[in-house]
Parts: sequence; structure tokens; C-alpha cells
Amino acid sequence: MDIRQATIDDLIGMQNANLLNLPENYTFKYYLYHALTWPELSYVAVDPRGRIVGYILAKMEDEPSPNTEPSGHVTSISVLRPYRRLGLANKLMKQSQEAMVAHYKASHITLHVRKSNRAAISLYRDTLGFEVHAMEKGYYADGEDAYGMRYLFNKKSEVESTA
Amino acid sequence: MAHSAPKHRQLPDKESKLFRELLTQYELKQYKKGIKAADTILKKFPNHGETLALKALTLHSSLPEPLTVSAVPKKEEAENMARLAIKKDITSHITWHVLGILAKSRKDWDEASRAFAMARKQDPDNIPLIRDSIALLTHTRQYPAALAARHHYLLLRPQIRSSWLALVIAHQLNGDLDEALKVFEDYQTTLKEEGATGPEKSQILLHILRIYIEAGKDQEGLEKLRQGVRDGVISPRGECTLLKAQMLANLGRQEDALQTYQELLEQNSDNLEYYKGYLQKKGIGLNAELTDDSRSKILDTLSSFAEIFPRSAAPRRLALDYSTGDKFRELARAYIVKGLERGVPSLFVDVKGVYTDAEKMKIVGEIVEEIVGKLEKDASLSNDDSISPPTMLLWAYYYLSLHLSYPLQTSPNYPRSLDLLNKAIEHTPTLPELYMAKAMVLKRSGDLLNAAYEMEKARLLDGQDRFLNGKSAKYWLRAGEIKKAEELLAVFTKKDLSPVQDLTDLQCLWFLQEEGDAYRKEGNLAMALKRYQALATVFQDYEDDQYDFHTYCMRRMTFGAYVSLMRYEDQLRSHPGYFNGALAAIEIYTQVFDDPSITEENFSPEEEAERKKQAKKAQKAEAKAKKAAATSGEKNDPPVPDADPTGIQLLKTETPIDDALKLWRPLERLAAERVETWLSGYEIFIRKKIYLAALKALKSAQSIAPSDPQLQYQILHFQKSTSSAELPESVKAVINSELPSLLTTTPEELSQSLGGNAKSPEEIYYAARGVFEVNGDKQQMKETLLKLGDEGVTPNIKYMEKSVQLLKIISPEDVEEVQKKYRARCPSAWVFTPSTEKETKRRDFEGGLEGFQGERYEEGKK
Repeated sequence: MDIRQATIDDLIGMQNANLLNLPENYTFKYYLYHALTWPELSYVAVDPRGRIVGYILAKMEDEPSPNTEPSGHVTSISVLRPYRRLGLANKLMKQSQEAMVAHYKASHITLHVRKSNRAAISLYRDTLGFEVHAMEKGYYADGEDAYGMRYLFNKKSEVESTA
Repeated sequence: MAHSAPKHRQLPDKESKLFRELLTQYELKQYKKGIKAADTILKKFPNHGETLALKALTLHSSLPEPLTVSAVPKKEEAENMARLAIKKDITSHITWHVLGILAKSRKDWDEASRAFAMARKQDPDNIPLIRDSIALLTHTRQYPAALAARHHYLLLRPQIRSSWLALVIAHQLNGDLDEALKVFEDYQTTLKEEGATGPEKSQILLHILRIYIEAGKDQEGLEKLRQGVRDGVISPRGECTLLKAQMLANLGRQEDALQTYQELLEQNSDNLEYYKGYLQKKGIGLNAELTDDSRSKILDTLSSFAEIFPRSAAPRRLALDYSTGDKFRELARAYIVKGLERGVPSLFVDVKGVYTDAEKMKIVGEIVEEIVGKLEKDASLSNDDSISPPTMLLWAYYYLSLHLSYPLQTSPNYPRSLDLLNKAIEHTPTLPELYMAKAMVLKRSGDLLNAAYEMEKARLLDGQDRFLNGKSAKYWLRAGEIKKAEELLAVFTKKDLSPVQDLTDLQCLWFLQEEGDAYRKEGNLAMALKRYQALATVFQDYEDDQYDFHTYCMRRMTFGAYVSLMRYEDQLRSHPGYFNGALAAIEIYTQVFDDPSITEENFSPEEEAERKKQAKKAQKAEAKAKKAAATSGEKNDPPVPDADPTGIQLLKTETPIDDALKLWRPLERLAAERVETWLSGYEIFIRKKIYLAALKALKSAQSIAPSDPQLQYQILHFQKSTSSAELPESVKAVINSELPSLLTTTPEELSQSLGGNAKSPEEIYYAARGVFEVNGDKQQMKETLLKLGDEGVTPNIKYMEKSVQLLKIISPEDVEEVQKKYRARCPSAWVFTPSTEKETKRRDFEGGLEGFQGERYEEGKK
């Protein structure tokens, strides 16, 4: 699968993949907002027919308080079920993280995950090196709690050597 | 300006102060306070135009989105008030500006343009007004006018960075790159850049580099790029380096470009564009016919990349495209073995790209057969006695089943495919992928209901997986089980909305298309049209969504992404999501035109009862909504209900062909390279009796796909229609001079040859229609259609169904005979299954599903 930076042309395909795969969905304008604010941070995985089969939709924390370092955030990441076991999520995440460091000097990256989503938690923690740093009560529309997970970029070399 | 204000606009001090407060309250979104202030002024000065205008704007802004029942009259009130304000004060920039803003929110671009222009006449230097005008002018692609407004803005605000940079973009959009670069240089000498953040500086420079490339000034661009990287303004990661590679290539510095692509691959070794760029710069033409020599060069390069980037599949996969014969066999085997060992479900989708080459498809089949054979005998795959993982055989069965049932196969082997999958399921009964594959094989064989039941089994194995849920719903829709599909989808949609509403709000394209198709298949054209029109609305929203970004991106300085957005929106409706929905809707409109009686509601007693129930429900909901709106303000104020829940108003249109034309126009502009666009256009224009436009459609279609079967039929149809129509001499003359070049043979010869040699199902179907068009011979038409069921013709259920539909209209007495033959050819095709058998089958499937659930439940407990 082809992995490349997402362009405006990819957003409908990303929206489609998101609707197929995940319960948290957004209208097109929210994808536009990401692509037109942080154009370098979102990536897609594309199959030979040109269909988007995986994506990472990412941003920077928009209004960092002074004295805090720039922080990246994953709004949504997913890979269509038939395209698993190719390591796509890992590759998408790596590309996005490197872009955050290169273009925005990000020091770390955060994301939210449903407390009940054990598969995702294990992916983020065991494969991608994230750790839980907060619990946010009632974060999701249906009232479920979220774990706030975080990954510090300066620890990267360490994680890479264990992966 | 207060001293020069006309008398009717002047207010005493107290009211004047209130008026200024009203302005602030509007800006701070304190709408209630604002309306109160306006009312206080209006009590004393009911004819004060500017107050009326601001009250209208404040009231309008306070309305909820989406509009609720109680807000509808308020919106009307605001609109009327804005118009009244103009009457009371026609020389005020405020009254015109407000009228423009309200028109803009209705998306009435014409009225908004006129109103903003009037407002600017009254007050040419009003900053918010110019800003609003620029957004509107850009949105409606009036680039020269937008540019002029930008210029004016810069004169008024020369000290602001974005005034300059936005002017650069205005020049670029207006097509004047040299001027764009010149303004940028002026900006650099005029303004010091301090104040811009690092990311902003980077966005600015990167975009200027893009303009340099577009303007063909690669050398200057390259120098700026180097400088930018050296100063740390831009990071060499990603686009910057890609731009560098392009500039170097444009300058003819292939060696340096090659090196730059190498750097890109080191950043991202899964990017196909980088590989292709690299190979191209190596002087190996990828598009040209490859010589053996360049073929082996490519393979050598790819193989060394495979070593450098062991985690990337791309170089190994690309090698399959560029190799042939024994080399292909060797590489494909290694690739497939690796995929099967890892249990990659997408291996088939990945590899089938090479199947357009029939030879390669055959080789892959042989490879997988060999693997299955060896693994079944427990033999090792390689000569080193290493043991393959036990799941490998399962994935080999899975691959082979998809391979054997693939539509490109001349005789797909569905029974063997199902057999292989059953073996795999025996080995591992809990893997959803195996049931998904079974469903896909069954779908390909035409057994849609059985397919849906298998997909449902996959879903039952992992009820928390939305992907499986959606697949199952899609298969139910294809099997005509709309209600079942919606019930399933509701598992993952918002609880307080119907699943259809939620999926429509979320712009779920696949669902709208599939449900439209399902309704169309069962003959509910009204609901089908409703879903297709909903698709068209989604694309309208996609277009409207860009509006806010005309202003936003100038502030955020994300110029590159913004310019791509503008270009993207200009060709938005070439997207297949729009294309397919529009074509389907156009077909329905032409059907309605041909036979308006299909819009009469002809329902079975059960349908009638269901409809009455729905209508009652809708009525109740509306009454409730009205009541709620009357009794309360904020709470219990529901959104305005759908005025046409069954789509019947859409279907009963007085102007079906004009409605079709409206959907078609974007295709004409944006999908002109697709033959379907012109085939569909022909059907519209011939019905509108605009013969020259119909002729143009035929000519365009012919230039794209001269042998398209439907086109051949349409040419015959056109000749017949125009020969009998009364036409002005001028039109006749054009047709007479153009038609011969369309008709490569006489109609008789054409229909004969189509009937005689036609091999593809599509050719056969349209040959039959052509024959009938020419000589009206039902017998000959039937005989041609029967060929769709011949052994030598790839079975195609879609055209078989179309044929049956055609016969039902033209020659109902032949339906049974034809259907019988089709059924013999496609025994499992659901559409040809007699309804008596359908019931038995359905019960069997249902029983199978219950058993399945029970078993799985037991296993889950273990």
C-alpha cells in the first residue's frame, strides 16, 4: 500500500474510511479544517485501485499556553479491517509524528481512546509506545470515559530499539 | 462621517449610543441584548433604516442551526426586515451590507454580489465590507474583481502582513504568476517579517516555491529553497524536498534529482510516487514500452531497495508489475508465500492488480494451487524443511477461493471457491474473514440473499466491529432487505436520530448510493430519487464548505493547501460519488418523462397500510412539533421536519428532464472524459428534442469509445428519431452532414454485425435493442437476448436483468422463455429464483443463522 501525505483530494476518501471503521465521525468541514491548518500532518494509505484504506488525521494543539512545548494530537487514526496486519497504522503514525517534529517542533503527541477499546489501547501502548497519562470522565458523546495517552518524542530512539 | 449623515439617519445622543452598543452586542454574539437595544431605538424611530438592518442581522444570527420549527417565521421576519431597511435608507452601506450577508447565508450569490457592490458604493473604504466582498468574489470565481478588491484592501492596510500575501494569492488565482512573485518581492522589501511564527514563515516560503515552479523559474526557486533550508525556515522533510527534486528535474539535472528522490525514499520508503520518480530519473521510461534491458534495470534497482528497506512492501510489489515470465513467477511466489505466512487478508486485493495481464493471472493461480497442494500434504514449501505456520493453508484456501471466483476469469468456479472456504472454516470456524469471503463469492455468483446471510455470520463473530456491521448492512441492501440493513446500521449511529438521518448528516456516501440502488431495484423510484438527491446535496455542502476558508487561510497563511482546495472544488463533481448517483437519478427522470404514470402510487395492500402508517406518524410528528413550537421557546423545539419523507414530490416533478439536466451539467464540465457522461447526455437531449446537443453528445461519446455498445444503439436511435422528426432546414443540414461520420456502416449492417459477432454481455444487450430500433422485429430481439445465456458468453446478471426488464415492456410474452435460459446459466442468481423457492431458501438460511448463533454462543462460553 502506498503511504503518503494526505491532500485535499483525499479528504472524502478519509471520511469514507472513518465512517466504515469507527464510531466517532465528523463532517467534511472538520477534515478541511485539519488539512487547511496543518497540511503536513495527515497521512493516508492507498490501495492499488486508489482507494483510501487507512489514514491518520492529525493536528497541533491549537492554543498552547505559554511555557508549554508544542504538542501534536491524533484526532483519528484507522485502517480498514481487510488491510490489517500490514503494519499500516504504525507507518502512518510514524510519518505523522516525524512531520510534527520537523515542521512544528513538537515535543510529544497525545490522543484519546475509549476506555473499553482494548484493541486500540494495546496498539497504542504496545506497538506505538504511548502511555496513559490521564483519564477524562465522560469524554465521548455517549458518556464513556476516555484515556488520554501520550508519547514523548525524545524517548523515540528507545522505543524504536525495542520495536 | 457623522456630520455628513443625511437627516433621516441621524439619531439623538441617547439612541446613538444605543446604536453603537447594538453593534458591539452583535459582534459579541449577545443577540438577546442586541434585539432589545434595537427595539428601544425603533420605538422612537420606527423608520430608522440602519437600526432595522442591524436588528434583522442580529435576529438572523440568533437562529438555531439546523432551523427549528419555531425559527422559521423568525427567519422570514428577519429577511423582510432587511428589505424594509433598504427602503427606509437606500444610501446606507449598513442596510446593503446586511442584505448581502443574509443573501449569502441563503447561498443566493447573485443577490449577495449585487448587495455588496451597492454597499461598497456607499462606503468604499469599509474594511469588514471589503473582506466580505473578497470572500464572495473568490467563492464565485470572479477573480479579476477579487483581485481589485484585494488591491484596495492593501492600500488601506499596507502594514498588515496578510494584506500583501493575500494579494499574492489573488494574483495567482487570477493566473498572473509573475505579478504574484513581484508582489511578494515588494512585500519583503516593505515589511519586516518579524511577527510571523516559524510554521507561518515555512508555509509562506513553501508556497512561494510552488509558484516559482509553476512560473517555470526553477533556478530562482532552487536558490530560495536552499536558502530557506539553510536558515531553518523550512524543513527538508516532505514537500520541500519533493519540490527540490522537481526543480532539479526541470533544470535537467537528472543526477541531482535522482539523489533527491533517494533522500525522499529515506524519509518514507512506502511512497510509490518517490519510487516512480526515482526510476524515472534513472532514465527508465515507465510509460513507454519497456525493453528487456530497462526491465532488468528496474528490477535490479527495486531489489536493492527491497534490501535497504526490508519493512516496505512497495519495492517487492512494484517488481511484480515490471517482471514477466519466469522472473515474474519467481518473484510472485516469494511475495505470495510471505503474505500467506503473515496471514495478510488483503493479499488478494494487493496482487490482483496484475490480473489485467491474463498470463500473470494464470501464473498466480498455478502458484497458489501448488502451495495449497503442498501444504495439504504437510510438505514443506521450501527445501530447507522449515515448517510453515498452521494457519498458512487457511490463508491459501482464502486466496484461492477469491482467485477462482474473480470476475475477470472466463469461467469463474464458484462451487470450488465455496468448497475451499468451507474447508478453511472447518479449520478455524471463528474467523470473520472466511465468512466475508464466502459472502463475496456468493455475491459474485448472483446469490445475493445467501451472500447476505454469510456476511451476517461474519458480523455476528465480532459485533463491535463497525466495518463488519456496515458490510453486512450493505449486503442486506443488495439483497433488497432495506429494513434489516437500517436496523443493523442503527447499532453505530446516534441514538436520538434515525440511522438514515444520522448517516445523511454525516455525509455517508456509500450508504446513500446503496440504499438508493436498493429502492430503485424494488421499484420504489421515489425513495431512490430521494437518496440520489441527498447525495447531490452532500456534494453541494462540500462545495459550500470552502466559503469560510477564503478568509481563514489568509489568516493562517496555509496558502498551498488553500490553492489546492480551490482547484479541488473546481472539479469536485468529477468524484465517482457524485457521478454514479447523478447518472442513476438521470435514468429515473428519463423514465418518468417517458411514462409519467409510474409516478402514480400503485401499492399492494401491505405497502398501502405501511404508507398510511408512515403518513400518520409524520402528521403526528408535525402536529407535535407545531404545538411544541407554539407553547415553548427554546426547549422542545424540533428541527423543521422533512417536507417530502417519501420522495414522492421529487418523483412527481413537472420538469423531469430539466431536473436531470441540472444534475448532468457538472458532469459535462467535469467528467467529459467519461463515455457514460455523453451516453447519459444523449438520453436527456433527445427527449428535450434538442437534436444538435444530442448529436454533440454522440460525437463526444464516439471520440472516447467508438465501439461502445450503448453508443452504437444510440446512433441508430438518433437516426430513426431525426428522420421522422420535423426539423428546421438548418438543423437538418447539420445532421445530414455529421451523421454519416457517426454511422460507419448502414443501420442494417450495424445491427447485423452487432447481432452476429457480439460477444460481451453489454454488446449483446445493445445489439438486441439496436435490431429492434431498426426493424421492430421482436423475434430477432428475443433471439439476440437469449445469447446472454450461452455457454461461450461470460455470465452477467446485470445485463440479464436489464434484458428481462426490456422484454417486460416490449414483448412480455417472451419473458418466461428468456428467464428460463438465464436461470439455467446462473442457477444461483437470486433475481431468477422463483418466489416459491425463495421462501424455502430464506427459511433455510434463517435456520442456518440461528444454528450459527447458537454454536458461536456455546463456543464463547467455553
